[in-house]
Amino acid sequence: MISCDYFKPSEVGEALRLVSQFKERALFAAGCTNILPDIHSGKQKDCVLIDISDLEELTGISKCGNSMRIGSSTTISELLNSSLIRDEAPLLYEAALNFADPVVRNRATVGGNLAYASPAADMAVPLLALDSRVVVQSLDQGLREISLREFFVGPGETVLSPSELILRVEFNLSQNFKVFYVKVGKRNAMAISLASLGLALKIDQTIKDARLALGALAPTPIRACRTEDFLMGKFPEDKVMEEASEILLSEINPISDIRGSREYRVELTRSLFKRAFRAILSEERGLS
Amino acid sequence: MKNYKLVTIFVNERPVTAPVEPHESLLDFLRHKAGAVEVKCGCNQGDCGTCTVLFKGKAVKSCLVLALQANEKDVRTIKGFTGDFLMGKLQESFVRNGAVQCGFCTPGMLISSYAFLQADPQPTREEIKTAISGNLCRCTGYKKIIDAVEEAAFGEASTKKATSSGSPEISEGQEEAKGTYLLLGGG
Repeated sequence: MISCDYFKPSEVGEALRLVSQFKERALFAAGCTNILPDIHSGKQKDCVLIDISDLEELTGISKCGNSMRIGSSTTISELLNSSLIRDEAPLLYEAALNFADPVVRNRATVGGNLAYASPAADMAVPLLALDSRVVVQSLDQGLREISLREFFVGPGETVLSPSELILRVEFNLSQNFKVFYVKVGKRNAMAISLASLGLALKIDQTIKDARLALGALAPTPIRACRTEDFLMGKFPEDKVMEEASEILLSEINPISDIRGSREYRVELTRSLFKRAFRAILSEERGLS
Repeated sequence: MKNYKLVTIFVNERPVTAPVEPHESLLDFLRHKAGAVEVKCGCNQGDCGTCTVLFKGKAVKSCLVLALQANEKDVRTIKGFTGDFLMGKLQESFVRNGAVQCGFCTPGMLISSYAFLQADPQPTREEIKTAISGNLCRCTGYKKIIDAVEEAAFGEASTKKATSSGSPEISEGQEEAKGTYLLLGGG
């Protein structure tokens, strides 16, 4: 027996009042691409749906100085239609191109993808590599900013309190990074990632900065900090790549599931990292 | 105790008012409350795309939209395109290319293709494949569907060579009958 309720607040303040009233039962509903399948499968039986899909305050992509702001109910299609994202955040653009399928992209939202906190969340990987911050609000805690690196706790779990709403995601635009994104699934469309990887390197003779984010390879999307530290200051050469990939394998903790075994994911990670590293290097060489 | 709320959804410009439960999908509303059975229910979890409709001008899977989210909004099903030039072209092209096998995926395929061609009237073949990648055809008749979308975009000459050997012979009478069936969102 499903017992749900539904409210449609007309502004964020009202949404926050509703969620503080219903607490754990409350579910923000925007694209509903996860909520409705969860209701149909019986995973979600008793909830108060708070429909935020038409709240203007949560939409829009804008650049404020050096910082990019993406409203939480921005759809993946809206990312793909934004020249700002295409030109200034290519890693995010690439991930959006590989997200579900074009029809689902018309509904699925950035905030929803993060809040659902799947280990394979396809928006998390590029946004982690971009050092994003999640701006959230609630009646009791007010406004606060959470680094995306500290946002995920486990599969389906985040640091958000039950009454917090994601308002937007922000990240600083950094120049001179070369980036590469790759996602591997069982098929091209509507695939849940077997593994995904986003790599951003700043190279000037040596590696000046390295950011490496991974999806579906641990209980949450992660940054591979030890691999990044190792890469800093090194010459971008094959030996470094081989050593880095060994360190990387010690940072992941994939599971075996219907999509692939742990062993397969480990080997996959090694080869995806090398593919990304080589692609960035050849782009770098092509330019210099 | 069921918790019904009243909604009015404009289905192909016709207002349909009915009570819905909070978790009810737009797909259930369309099929069971609005009688729009041309919208098919396949997987009911967003994987297959046969329930695709136009909502706020975009192709969406109606099983992934709450009926309440469509309150006071326009929804267009495959029956809502009578007289539409682009959809007419697509439908005729589907018939000509034998892009309809069992027909179950056809309403969704047509609406995804329609929304895509509106935004990108001169696509490459790869772009067409991506555009319909959210719509499954379990007869696996993808090649003819892609041919049909390509032909709708560029005219008959573009795909004649590709389809001349494989397309089924349809007499004129049959073609007409199939056309009518398609326009009604058959299957």
